[in-house]
Amino acid sequence: MSRVFVTGIGIISAVGSTLMENRSALAAGRSGISFAATLSSRYAGVLPCGSIGTSTDEWREQFRIDHPGITRTTLLALHAFSDAIADAGLSDVSLRDPRVALVGATTVGGMCLTDELYRDTTRSCDNSPYLSSYDCASVHLFLQSRYGMTGLGTTINTACSSSANAIQYGARLIRNGLATTVIAGGADSLAKFTINGFHALQILSPKPCRPFDRDRSGLNLGEGAAFLVLEGEEVLAGKEAAGGRAGGKETAGGRAAGRAGGKPIYAELTGYCNTNDAFHPSALSLTGDGPFLAMQGALQSAGLKPADIDFINTHGTATENNDEAEGRAMLRVFGELPPFASTKSYTGHTLGAAGAIEAVYSILSIRHQELYASLNFAEPIEDMGIRPVQVFRQHAVRHVMSNSFGFGGNCTSLIFSNVN
Amino acid sequence: METTELKQQLKRQIIEFLNLTDTTPESIQDDKPLFGDEGLGLDSIDSLELIVLLNREYGIVIKDLKEGRKVLVDVNSMVDYIEKHRTK
Amino acid sequence: MLYIHHTSCIYPQKELDQPAGPVDNKLMAAEPGYEGIPGNMLRRMSKSVRMGIGAALPLLKYSPDGILIGTGYGGMEDSVRFLNQIIGYDEGILTPGTFVQSTANAIASQLGLLHHNRGYNITYVSRGLSFESALLDAAMLVREHPGSSWLVGGVDEISDHHYRFECAEGWYKEGVVAGEGAAAFLLNDRPAGALARISKIVLRGGENEEVLKSALTGLLDDYPPDLLLSGENGDSRARNWYRIVESLMAPDTGIMRFKNLCGEYPTASAFALWLACNLPGALSERRHILIYNNYKLTQHSLILLERLL
Repeated sequence: MSRVFVTGIGIISAVGSTLMENRSALAAGRSGISFAATLSSRYAGVLPCGSIGTSTDEWREQFRIDHPGITRTTLLALHAFSDAIADAGLSDVSLRDPRVALVGATTVGGMCLTDELYRDTTRSCDNSPYLSSYDCASVHLFLQSRYGMTGLGTTINTACSSSANAIQYGARLIRNGLATTVIAGGADSLAKFTINGFHALQILSPKPCRPFDRDRSGLNLGEGAAFLVLEGEEVLAGKEAAGGRAGGKETAGGRAAGRAGGKPIYAELTGYCNTNDAFHPSALSLTGDGPFLAMQGALQSAGLKPADIDFINTHGTATENNDEAEGRAMLRVFGELPPFASTKSYTGHTLGAAGAIEAVYSILSIRHQELYASLNFAEPIEDMGIRPVQVFRQHAVRHVMSNSFGFGGNCTSLIFSNVN
Repeated sequence: METTELKQQLKRQIIEFLNLTDTTPESIQDDKPLFGDEGLGLDSIDSLELIVLLNREYGIVIKDLKEGRKVLVDVNSMVDYIEKHRTK
Repeated sequence: MLYIHHTSCIYPQKELDQPAGPVDNKLMAAEPGYEGIPGNMLRRMSKSVRMGIGAALPLLKYSPDGILIGTGYGGMEDSVRFLNQIIGYDEGILTPGTFVQSTANAIASQLGLLHHNRGYNITYVSRGLSFESALLDAAMLVREHPGSSWLVGGVDEISDHHYRFECAEGWYKEGVVAGEGAAAFLLNDRPAGALARISKIVLRGGENEEVLKSALTGLLDDYPPDLLLSGENGDSRARNWYRIVESLMAPDTGIMRFKNLCGEYPTASAFALWLACNLPGALSERRHILIYNNYKLTQHSLILLERLL
């Protein structure tokens, strides 16, 4: 089966609206979590979140979108998607090819329009512009329509592992000859609906989150989006034969020096595995069975040993349950742990976008040969004694594992590798 | 309200709140554990729901699950706590 | 190649030969007793979750390696229930159960829980292509893991809120009827004993006629179908798409429209696949079957299968 490479990236998060801005923040240890009151909720300004300071209206203006039914989630997706395809040099014509697929992911979808949905369900909805905006599919369907895409388009919702699953599904479409190019990723925006749901589960922290710390007190929600452009080796070889890629521009963020078929690429997706913890609707088993099986399966699919992993971008939400379960699972797989960190301490938990955002950060780690610090860590969890990376540093990085473990026990582990 | 009456009321409220359609108030003994397979078989989501029930029906605020675990043992412990802390 | 070995379906009809019509423009599913679902889990479930689990439960005994579900509406009813709490209690202390149940992956994850199934588990929420996305995933999985078997399902309930919204948007004119249902399939790569073989699954988007024609002609190179199961629902705006598909059939290809049996909903094609494997009477002699469904004009799916039993 074909090898799958990442040839374009687009990302927006609380720490930056470009790839370079995100990388700078990670290198500087600069968190995007704050008490900024950007959400229309009683918890705005009360609970810390990884919110993006740009208003929804500003993005509407930037992208020249009049329709009020295009939600913040969709605009975040558009932001990252348009950057990704530009980065990969995909022309408008090439996007319309039926062999180009779009695999999106979101958990919030249009539910960021919480108040509007309440109005539409309790009063007449006859002239509401939002009726087909509320569901998860509205996000990818907008992108498909805007870019005239005719191939496979789908949306995945497996809670916090959604966009990690989008990436593995996209890669497998290429490997099974069902698509030649896939743009895979996800988006989620801060929403009154979600913040209340997580608050009801008592897993939100009143302070900036402290992944893997003994005194952690829950997660911070975040918003953002990221898309990867995935291409198979045959496509890249074909492009080389045709004299390189058409259109596009070199990004300021740069690219790994590795090449496959003559096209500059970021990294290779070498492993993936999706499992289910099958323990509880909203908590992981304390032995971390689902995460253990996902990590082990990803290593097997990549043909790698635990010792080959140079860095783990953990799920690391800083809830009592997740970090303990994930920590135990990592110890079961690795014995002696490689360096690991949770970048949710920078962005907050971006839910449906988390898998893709953290995949991008894993790729940045490879691209720049560096390890990012896990913020707000002081003391390890008792009985485990594991400590994440606490200081940003340069380091040889060949293979990075990126993990996402969601509600419903949906666990997905991805492995990206250096192509140098 | 008399304690026995409160116990009966609480049992009906638990059944309704948690939608325990197969359960009757008579089948819930006062000292029957709420959690675990040997008892009523409730889980951690139910414990959060019961905290909400105590708030809505009796005006009681329980800060978190840790505090909740001490209160949510069986009907006896819940009624005991209600009688001491209710504001409604 | 993907082989269907077992099927299960909850749908609006008691008798396929004598279908009942809609009531208030809705075809409501005939739900079973759900004896197999533990009371502790059943009490929390919305209709779509219990239908999805009810349909899939009989197939879990075949120990699939994983569970793949497609749902268009997801947990809309529970989402609105939780939303009403948010507003009603002014974002105060709220019950989390409804929030957890409102998540789209509630069906697939609870199936995993019920059977301690730790394998691949995924949920697609792509409106009219949700079920097909899951089916295509299973087709890839059997190729990647020879000898494996997978449970794939498509589920949607008539959400009162969605129905109101879709009426307001004009999707229920011209005799289009709302429906609901849950269909589940046990699939693997083994021909022996299989009910049917799925040879092609094609998903397309947009309104470019050439794209659909090209997908069809590619598909029909293998063999012409002797039955077209058509998702035509009466909406005149979609008529052209169905005419395009029909124009590429052989003269003796029968055409059966299935939405008078199940109604219109995002995962109605799952019902169509079940129907293809369970055709009543003389129709069961039709072996090569093409299912074409068009959802809200811009989502197209083609499933080509051959009945083996």
